[in-house]
Amino acid sequence: MRVNHRFVCLLLLAVAVRGAPAQQTPRSIARGVPQDAPRSITIDSRLAADASLHVGDRVVVAAGTGEPGDTVVIAAITQRRADPAEIARGEYRVRLHLGQLQSLLGYGDRVDRFAIATPSAGATADAVARINASAFGFQAHRSADVAVETSKTFAVVSRFHRAIGTITIVASAIFLLCIMLLKVDERRRDVAALRLIGCTERTIVGSVVLEAAAIAVLGSLFGVVVGGTASFLVNRHYQAVYRTPLRFSIVTGDIVLLAVALALVLGIVAGWLAARRLVRTPPLALFGR
Amino acid sequence: MLATLALASLLRHRTRTVLAILGVAVSAAMLLDMVMLSSGMRESFRGLLLSQGFQLRLSPRGTLPFDTEATIRGADSLLAVLRARPTVAVASPVLGGQLHFPSRGATVTASALGVEPAVQGDYELVAGRQPTAANEIVANDATLRAIGHSLGDTVHAAAGYDPQLRTYSGERTLRIVGRVRFIYLALDQRAVALPIGTLRAMGGPASADRISLAMVKLRPGADVERERAALHALLPRVTVTSTAQALEQVDQRLSYFRQLAVILGSVSLIVGFLLVTTLVTVSVNERIGEIAVMRAIGVHRWRIVGQILLESSALMVIAAPLGLALGLVTARWLDSILARFPGLPERIDFFLFQPRAAWTALGLLVISGILAGVYPSWRSASLPIAVTLRQEAVG
Repeated sequence: MRVNHRFVCLLLLAVAVRGAPAQQTPRSIARGVPQDAPRSITIDSRLAADASLHVGDRVVVAAGTGEPGDTVVIAAITQRRADPAEIARGEYRVRLHLGQLQSLLGYGDRVDRFAIATPSAGATADAVARINASAFGFQAHRSADVAVETSKTFAVVSRFHRAIGTITIVASAIFLLCIMLLKVDERRRDVAALRLIGCTERTIVGSVVLEAAAIAVLGSLFGVVVGGTASFLVNRHYQAVYRTPLRFSIVTGDIVLLAVALALVLGIVAGWLAARRLVRTPPLALFGR
Repeated sequence: MLATLALASLLRHRTRTVLAILGVAVSAAMLLDMVMLSSGMRESFRGLLLSQGFQLRLSPRGTLPFDTEATIRGADSLLAVLRARPTVAVASPVLGGQLHFPSRGATVTASALGVEPAVQGDYELVAGRQPTAANEIVANDATLRAIGHSLGDTVHAAAGYDPQLRTYSGERTLRIVGRVRFIYLALDQRAVALPIGTLRAMGGPASADRISLAMVKLRPGADVERERAALHALLPRVTVTSTAQALEQVDQRLSYFRQLAVILGSVSLIVGFLLVTTLVTVSVNERIGEIAVMRAIGVHRWRIVGQILLESSALMVIAAPLGLALGLVTARWLDSILARFPGLPERIDFFLFQPRAAWTALGLLVISGILAGVYPSWRSASLPIAVTLRQEAVG
């Protein structure tokens, strides 16, 4: 069961006066703190687009369908933060003055949470300890601990991606070994000739490994270009689907380095295995005699 | 003859063939996993929603069941309306909340469901009995462990706090009469269930005549979508969600995994296809003289094409069972990772094995195996016999 989503309970009931100037007197305030002029709210751009709302529009907000509400003025339209925790939830977000929301929800003199700024990490630990020592019915948490707790979903997704990556690496390694075997097998006659004119096994293995390394590096660089393009397309697609500025895929220097290094190691190992197999075969057998 | 030649060709380079089979098996495993992921999650969730036979769920207008703390006012009249409808067999109200259990100097908080035990569909009884009396409660293992009590014990519970007075509100002494497993909650989520009247009384005036959700089981033969539309029109304060709509919502929220499954499944298939195409092409290049001789002694070009197609299909078919077995093992591994999603119901499987998934993966593999042989077989069948023989003879 989910908690702390009181903002979601707040339903925008109707657009009372579309495009009316902000100074206009509200038609009715049936509940909430009496006021002379409508108070202001902010809405997110997703809601503004879906409900065709603009800055200055007056709307009625209420805690539920059919319940009395307050007329308010849209003071600003905000861009949603790039928060991964929110992307799959198609919620709208409305921000009101605290007192007005408490009044609308019949919430009394209560809040769901406080945020407290402290001057240092030591002060944070001290504040948490002191608050929790005297707290009844609430608890203080460090922001870092809250972040760890709320990012558990993404830790799971990250582990899943790593697992998929491992399977992909296994498949790539086998693929690369296969290709290297084929490439080296194609050189049976060349290798036989080199062996017969006196080239050492070490020279032959070295040349094959060098070629494998070059192929691996070139292939991985091409892969980086493909990956970068795919990443761009993924971001464009999902940013449009979820209407968020969040970047879903990022190709960093570390990732590029890891991919190239991994490909290089796999290429060298595959080339070495294939070359070793070839140089152990007698030259005449390689000629097919 | 055709099969013998194809087999001989594959056995000629055993290491290469074994590696190709391994490569295709890993691709097949990934393909099966992705086919399972794309459909399994949905089927698993459908099974979960229908496990208790409730086809419709009524929640506060504009919300999904238990997606927010919003509740429905006038619950008793709403239930009366529902139960009076000839198509409705069972209407089960649920009120969500929290209960606090003072325990050993600390307080254990658990999700609480107020239900009508005779018609509830939120939990399964593991031991004991339903909470029929007002002072009875059932709890899951996670709660019992946390509060250090067991079946038959009496516990002290409160519905809320009054921080200013430093007292609990809505206090009750309750007897644990059942150990249960909650169907829609995570295994490690602490939860209890008690009669809805008790939870409302503990919550005070704010909970009076309110419910968070009503689940509706229709009589056999009733049209679910028609009833949903009728209830939606009749009850303006609630959103009526059918199982099909709930699945659509789940699809929308978990579309990432479905799209990932499609992308990775396609990549796996392409990798397997490229591997087999490369191997068969190289194999054909190596045997170009042999193929020209066969053509020269009168073997029809379609037999050559058939042999090469058989060779590529054989690689896929031999690798498929190995890949399917590997796929089941990796699916369990990947499922165990995703099962750690916070709040995921215990019964949800991301990778649900269905025979259809295996057949789909096998079918795709065989088709890609055949397609992988098309280019090399076309190339070998269109060889100019005399020129090829001369080139092979000269070297």
